[in-house]
Amino acid sequence: MPMLRGFLILVLFFLLGEALRMLFVLPVSGGVLGMILMTLTLMLRGRVSDDLATASQALISVLVLLIMPGVVGVFFLASQFSGQWLAVATALLLGTFLSVLTTLLVMRGVLRLSTQGRSND
Amino acid sequence: MTELVNRFIAIPDLLSASPILAIGLTLTAFFVGNWLFARLGKPLWMPPVLLSAVILSAVIAVLSIDYVRYQEGALWITVLLGPATVALGIPLYQQIHHIRALWLPIVVTLPLAATMAAVYAVVIAWALGATPEVLASLAPKSVTAPIAIGITEQLGGSVALMMGGLLITGVVATLFVDLLAKWLPVEDERILGFALGLNGHAIGTARAFEISHTAGAFSSLGMGLTGVFTALILPLVFRL
Repeated sequence: MPMLRGFLILVLFFLLGEALRMLFVLPVSGGVLGMILMTLTLMLRGRVSDDLATASQALISVLVLLIMPGVVGVFFLASQFSGQWLAVATALLLGTFLSVLTTLLVMRGVLRLSTQGRSND
Repeated sequence: MTELVNRFIAIPDLLSASPILAIGLTLTAFFVGNWLFARLGKPLWMPPVLLSAVILSAVIAVLSIDYVRYQEGALWITVLLGPATVALGIPLYQQIHHIRALWLPIVVTLPLAATMAAVYAVVIAWALGATPEVLASLAPKSVTAPIAIGITEQLGGSVALMMGGLLITGVVATLFVDLLAKWLPVEDERILGFALGLNGHAIGTARAFEISHTAGAFSSLGMGLTGVFTALILPLVFRL
C-alpha cells in the first residue's frame, strides 16, 4: 500500500505537469514539469514522505526496463537512416569528447577561481 | 501433424494480440540482460540496457513478431516513464545541499557545458549532411532517457535513433572522462562526478558511484540539472 500511495502522488504530479503543458502550450514534457513541481514542493515541505521515497526508489531502480522498448527500435528502424551513419557516429564520438573536455576545464577553472577568491578575502 | 506444427508456429503472432506477450518478453530480456551483465564482470562498455535490448530484439526477430505490435503492447511499460521522470525530482531534492555548497561552479558550468553537449553534436552532424530529423534525435544525447524521450518527441526526432545515440554517448562519455582525468589532470571527485552525469547521464552516474559516493552524488546532480536545463532550453532553441 505505501508504494501505491507514493505512486499515486507521482501520477498526480505527472498529470498536473501534462495539464500545465497543454494549458500554456509549453514545449517541455509533462514529466519534466512534474519533476520540477515535485522538487519545489519538497523544498517547501522540507522532507520526503516514506510513501513517496518507496515509490520513487522502485521506479528509478527499473528505469532500464522502462526505456528498453525504445532502445529496441534502433535495430528495427536503422534502415531509415542509412547514409547518415558517418554523421551520426562522428557527432556522437567527437561531440562527446569535446563536451567532456569543456565540462572538465570550465568546472576546474571556476572552482580554482572561486577558492582563490575566498582565500584572498 | 503438420496442422499441429502450423498452429505452433502461429502462436507468437496470435499471442501478440494481447499486451501481455510484450510485457513478458521485455521483463524476461531485462532479467537475462542483468544476469549476463553480472556474469561478464560488469563491463563498462556493455551496459545492461544494451545487453537486454539486443536480447529482446533478437527474440522479437526470431519469433517474427510485428515490431509495431510489440511497441503497442510495450506501451503498458513505457507509459510508466512519465511518473518515473517525476520520481527523479526526489533524489534531486535530496542533493540540494550540494548545489548550495558549490553553487558558483555549478551555475557557471551547467548552462555552458549542457548547451555545448548538444551544440557540438548538432553542428558536427549538420556539417556532415544529416537531415533535420537526425539532428533533432541527436540534440538530447547527454540527457537521461526518460527526459530525452520527451524532448525528442517535442522536437520531432526519432526516439529509436535518439536512444541509440544516448547509449553510445553514455558509454564513450564514461571512457573519455576516465581518459581526460589522467591527461589534464583532474583529480577532484566532485568535478569528475559532475562531468560524468552531465555528459554521460545514467551510464556515467553508474560509473561515478564506482569512484566514490561523493562522485555519485555530483553525477546524479549533473544528470538531473542537465535534464531539466536541456528540456527547458532545447525546444525553445529549435523553435527559432
